[in-house]
Amino acid sequence: MIALAFSLVGAMILARFGSPPTQSHPWIFWFAAFWTLALALLISIAISSFRAALRERQGERQLQRVARLHRSILDSAGPMMIACDLTGSINLFNPAAERMLGYRTVDALGKLTAADLFPESEMARVGEQLAASMPSSRSLAGVPPNTAANLLPYIRYVASFPSSRVRGFEMRYRRRDGSTFPAMVYLSAVRSSAGTVEGLVSIAVDLSATRRAEHALRESEERYRDLFDNSAEMIATLSPRGRYLYVNPAWQALFGMDSSQFESLIGFESPFPPEIQAEAAALFHKALHGVRVEHHPLRLQSSTGENVEVEASLSCRREEAGPVSVRCIFRDVTQQNRRERRLRIQLVVSQIIGETTSMDEGLTRVLEALCGTFSCEFAALWSVEDTQHSIRPRISWYAKGRSSEDFQHETHALVLSRGQGLPGMVWSLGKPCWIADLRQHPAFIRRTAARLNGYLSGWAVPVRVGNQVIAVVECFSRQYMREDPDLMATVETVCGSVGQFMARAGQEARVRQLDRQKAVILNSVADGIVGVDSANRIAFVNPAAARMLECDESELIGCRVHDLLHPSTAGCDSTCLTRRAFQTAEGASGQDVYFRGNGKSFPVEFSLMPMIEDGESVGSVLSFRDISQRYALDHMKDEFISTVSHELRTPLTSIRGALGLLSAGLLGEVSEKATSLLRIAVANSDRLVRLINDILDLERMTSGRAPLAFRRISLDELMRQAVEAMQPMAEAEEVRLACDPFSAFIEADSDRLLQVMTNLLSNAIKFSPPRSTVRIHASHTSDGVTVSVIDEGRGVPADKLESIFDRFQQVDASDSRQKGGTGLGLAICRTIVHQHGGRIWAEQNDSRGAIFRFFLPERASISALAEEATQSQFEQRLG
Amino acid sequence: MSRRVLIIDDEEDIREVAALSLETVAGWDVLVAGSGAAGIIKARENHPDAILLDVMMPGMDGPTTFKELRSLPETANIPVILLTAKVQAADQKRFSDLGVVKVMFKPFDPLVLAQEIAATLGWQEI
Repeated sequence: MIALAFSLVGAMILARFGSPPTQSHPWIFWFAAFWTLALALLISIAISSFRAALRERQGERQLQRVARLHRSILDSAGPMMIACDLTGSINLFNPAAERMLGYRTVDALGKLTAADLFPESEMARVGEQLAASMPSSRSLAGVPPNTAANLLPYIRYVASFPSSRVRGFEMRYRRRDGSTFPAMVYLSAVRSSAGTVEGLVSIAVDLSATRRAEHALRESEERYRDLFDNSAEMIATLSPRGRYLYVNPAWQALFGMDSSQFESLIGFESPFPPEIQAEAAALFHKALHGVRVEHHPLRLQSSTGENVEVEASLSCRREEAGPVSVRCIFRDVTQQNRRERRLRIQLVVSQIIGETTSMDEGLTRVLEALCGTFSCEFAALWSVEDTQHSIRPRISWYAKGRSSEDFQHETHALVLSRGQGLPGMVWSLGKPCWIADLRQHPAFIRRTAARLNGYLSGWAVPVRVGNQVIAVVECFSRQYMREDPDLMATVETVCGSVGQFMARAGQEARVRQLDRQKAVILNSVADGIVGVDSANRIAFVNPAAARMLECDESELIGCRVHDLLHPSTAGCDSTCLTRRAFQTAEGASGQDVYFRGNGKSFPVEFSLMPMIEDGESVGSVLSFRDISQRYALDHMKDEFISTVSHELRTPLTSIRGALGLLSAGLLGEVSEKATSLLRIAVANSDRLVRLINDILDLERMTSGRAPLAFRRISLDELMRQAVEAMQPMAEAEEVRLACDPFSAFIEADSDRLLQVMTNLLSNAIKFSPPRSTVRIHASHTSDGVTVSVIDEGRGVPADKLESIFDRFQQVDASDSRQKGGTGLGLAICRTIVHQHGGRIWAEQNDSRGAIFRFFLPERASISALAEEATQSQFEQRLG
Repeated sequence: MSRRVLIIDDEEDIREVAALSLETVAGWDVLVAGSGAAGIIKARENHPDAILLDVMMPGMDGPTTFKELRSLPETANIPVILLTAKVQAADQKRFSDLGVVKVMFKPFDPLVLAQEIAATLGWQEI
């Protein structure tokens, strides 16, 4: 009982102070240990005498059980367990060690030393490791424990500590095949039951897998860091409170700050320009509260002052406790947006221009598109006036909503000269102009209105056609906009298209105006007008033509024009004037008979004009006039003249016949005086006949109802005929007639031309003194021939050279009486020569007398072609 | 050999002057008629060597008379000269198309009328 009491006291002391050999109470420990051991000794002596045998048997069984337990632990343990004695010889080698090192236990036990399991250099490190882990072991450093002898101090050193004090450290093991691997080693000393150190046991865990995992993790981190650091996208990570945790170089470059500067900022929005700080803060707030922000557009200025457009994506990383960080990724979409914007505005503008016909409507839509694309609220187009003296607003557009009317009114009230105001300046310079702050710019006239309507920035771009500025486009924004050369370049491109559109629309407007004028003219004229294509099919007809032809305009389009005007029943042949007119390249005019839709004919006066483009005929225009009424009147007039002529001639025939018979003395002797009087009566009745004939001739010619019969004739022969015809008269007057030979052929009406020549010769003879010469001769001129009749008479006074060709105009009023002329001869000559496309005139002969000349073109005028129609053909068709 | 010429004209003065002219200048026998119908009867009865025919006559005019003469066998071959005061080109063409020997115009010179007729018909005796 006493021993038990001692042991209890000792145990209590141990329980209180015994576990760590503390520095403060060593004596208590040793005192307690002494009494405990003493007590244990007394107890064991007392008990052993009673239960010695029993205890011996039980102890053996217990030991066997423990040994089995240890063996199974050794065999199944994952870590290597290797023990060696003080010489380093291996005496424990578990299956895990077999697996890891490649030795069999039988090969290891007693045959290997600890040094065989490490690479040579590794043993040198063990000391350092131990020194590092246990500062008091510095003396061991540098001692290579590669021999058994050298191992001993280590073992002793390790053994000097309780196993719990020896920290694990990392070593590389060497496998049987020479390869090495890292392992975490825990060492402890093996002691005998007497407490003597007998060896060392090492427990090692293979670190290969751990190392690989660590490496992989490190690699992964490196990879991500590399990725972020080299990313073109701007990446930042922020704490939930808005502190910057990480910014990649792209982010730093955007704001022109380094990561340390970011770390010192207090909010996400701090580095942003003031005008968008609120927007940035809102985005961060949104993301922090779990709303994913995707591709939110932001405009800001980069550290280099350039406009940068980014798409911001923000999201929050959360854990259970709440938000951990906010990720921000900005993508620079400046170039992409510019490209897209440029393409979009160009596409939109080209669409507008393509589908709009009204210039003002098209321009308004272009202004609207420009405002929409470039965040502006007001746009105007100013046109340079044709006079080039001023520029004035043509059209404007403003965004609905906030009022811009004041500004619009002020804009439309302005007319600016070159160089004046923003539009005048752009017009003058011929290049774009940007005003970042409208309120401050001295050249901007509408400052007050801009301020009142909230406009901050504006720009203007010239609209050119070729090198000429024809208009200026200006836009104004309520946002502050820094100068953007790229925007200007885009708008200049657009304005190029606008210039082309304006030029085209201007031309189209002029064309439309001309079309309207043409339509008015075509619809209002009384003449029928028919446009014919190169295949002689009708392309257009005016209402008058349709009315005259008694057909619908639509029916006529596409008809063959000749078949329409002269249907098969008309029986027209190769002499058809209209057909021939269509075949000539120069065009023609004349009279013909056309047929109405109901088959009835009507007389027309027509004119055909070919349309020539680039030297080729593309068709012709036929205009015609219904001359039924005029024709009827002409017919009545003809009848009247015919009757008058007949009625005048009939009594004249009796008078002339009676006087002729009397004066000839065939009916008996007549006194001399009576004969003289009878001769006067005969001469005057002849003159009266000539007068009647001349009046009729002239009337017929001037009314165009005495058509000429053109044919190719020899001028020489005609001149000789004229001379022969006048020979009797010349002989009577004792005048010599001379005709110079001349060889030429011309197209003319020979009878009429003969009439001209005989008239002129007759005049010349009449006014020539006896024994003088009247000469007729011809000469070539550049484009025809000139015939001259030259006499040696009294000549024509200079002031009468023109007027003698008028009717009843003679040099001397008594001439008609004395010379028996009618006063119409030269008028008739002039009419005939004009009908040949020529001209006639009188000259004073240098020496004496007069010269009458007439010129005839080599080819008869085309317009005379139609004159070949004979009256009978005409009337026959009219029925 | 004396020629016999028939003058058909409604104007008595002209008939007389013309007859006088042909009788005194050429010495021909001259018959006269005052209308187409009378002229045809005279022509059938007397078979003249030539007929001078006026155009404008009341009743049967010159061209009609000419056609009638042509249609009668006994007068069909007598040469006819139209004597007209109508001088317009259209008239002239219409007359010459009828098939007459010649168209002569009024007023005529009584001294050369016979000559012109003889020249036209190829009579040699003047």
